[in-house]
Amino acid sequence: MKRVYAKEELCLNCRLCEVYCKTAHSASKDVLKANKYETPAPVSRVTVYGDKLRSAAVNCRHCENPKCVQACITGAMTKDPATGIVAVDEHKCIGCMTCLAVCPYGCITTGRFAIKCDLCRGETEPACVKNCPNRALVYTDLGGAQE
Amino acid sequence: MKYIIIGACAAGLACAEQIRKEDASGEITVFTKEAYLPYSRPSISYLLKGAVKEKDMYLRKPSYYAAKRIHFVRDTAITAIDTKNKTVKAGRKAYAYDKLCICTGSKPFVPPMKHVEGKSNVFCFLDLASAKAVKAAAKPHTRAVVIGAGLIGMKAAEGLSKICQSVDVVELAPRILPSILDQKSSKLVKNHVEKEGHIRFHLAQTVSEARSKGERISSVVLNSGEVLACDMLVIAVGVRPETALAEAAGLSVNRGILTDSKTMQTSQKDVYAAGDCTVSTDMLDGSKKIIALYPNAVYQGTVAGAQMAGGSQELGGCYAVNAIDFYGLRICTCGLINAAGEPYRDKVRHSGEAYKRLIFEDNRLVGFVLINASQNAGIYTNLIENQSDITALEQDIFDTPSLFMFDKAQREKRLKGAL
Repeated sequence: MKRVYAKEELCLNCRLCEVYCKTAHSASKDVLKANKYETPAPVSRVTVYGDKLRSAAVNCRHCENPKCVQACITGAMTKDPATGIVAVDEHKCIGCMTCLAVCPYGCITTGRFAIKCDLCRGETEPACVKNCPNRALVYTDLGGAQE
Repeated sequence: MKYIIIGACAAGLACAEQIRKEDASGEITVFTKEAYLPYSRPSISYLLKGAVKEKDMYLRKPSYYAAKRIHFVRDTAITAIDTKNKTVKAGRKAYAYDKLCICTGSKPFVPPMKHVEGKSNVFCFLDLASAKAVKAAAKPHTRAVVIGAGLIGMKAAEGLSKICQSVDVVELAPRILPSILDQKSSKLVKNHVEKEGHIRFHLAQTVSEARSKGERISSVVLNSGEVLACDMLVIAVGVRPETALAEAAGLSVNRGILTDSKTMQTSQKDVYAAGDCTVSTDMLDGSKKIIALYPNAVYQGTVAGAQMAGGSQELGGCYAVNAIDFYGLRICTCGLINAAGEPYRDKVRHSGEAYKRLIFEDNRLVGFVLINASQNAGIYTNLIENQSDITALEQDIFDTPSLFMFDKAQREKRLKGAL
């Protein structure tokens, strides 16, 4: 499946991926409103870790055998057999955060329910990738080893 | 091939699904004594407090089971297992199996108390039926008493506190959530729950007897002599593995059903067991224990299913991992949280309502207790599961864990991989 891969050597730690992730997952879809004024404030599903010298935007790997899906106590976290996308059903999720407790990549955020990357659900290119100014994020089905 | 699974909760469902992955044509029948298709047991307290609807508690859609040809027989308690003739019995009816998996889970433990049995306002809180009964009985004027301040009792108390006039919790141990929290963190959670939920705790106490008016309990007497008014008594002292069927069938049982540590097969060929009814080996200290937690049940059920259908997947290590919240306070625990003394050491960082306790053995992380500090906790869990050398980490282990804890090679591998 197509996944988002981060290139540490190209990441500028500008956090625009977070800004545009929030926008894509906001009610207004407006970059200013989403990041400044909207309540509840939209949450970014991608997080830049590291410092000015070395950083990378980390988001869900959409694993083949996702630990979060296996551990989910409500059946809210599922992997779509057709698209491979691992996503949360917000009605079923009780926000216990067992998924967060087992995700080895640290890609689940706490909220009233678990919040995570949904690959912008069928968009040709997720917002984080589309808006990365230095092409430090790539969206490909070639696997992480590609250049 | 005929597969029979007894029990339709976490382990039973995982077992059935794995069998279907390995064997496209076998006949899969799941017996449940409950009236429902598989649903989320842990969600019952969220149903009680009105945070989730019953229709959203079901783990899969009915159409899914039809597509996977997983057949459920509901409202049917298996009464006996005949390993010689390879049948299970439900009353007089017998069903033949080639491979059987016992996923009978837990049963509530009810401590001896005088004048409680048979009263109409006494409840357990374990399954959907009991949660519905509690929800129907809990009214705004109800004065509820919960016995047990473990995970189930505390979730019951939280749910009841949103409905009832008052909630009293009686706990034998000197602190709440004794199985997952140490003294300091327990106190922190207790303060939060008292403030947010107005729950009154009676610690290091037991209910010695109940007083009744007719069929209903009207008050309970603690061993201190204190009397608590009581319109509803919820017994949530704890659970024990449900092993009656296995014992009667002559399988090896020691507290829980004993299984092969790799295949989940019981002492009897072609009979497997998974989930809360079994004894697990904790990979972190080698001890035999009951790990009555959801992820463990799913894992064991999956392995049992694979083995039953001729697959190769074997059980790796089991360990405890749990996440729960009380009035917005998030608690996340993993591994050997009660380990004390040599060879273990622990370190605590505590500020305000954020609490982080990490437990180490030599240069390995073997457990954690995180309260309002659970960000990226899965990375800690991963360190525990992989028994990683933490001296090789590139940042302070108390900092928020991230991939930048690992050296460049490790980090690249993780950024480019997917499990």
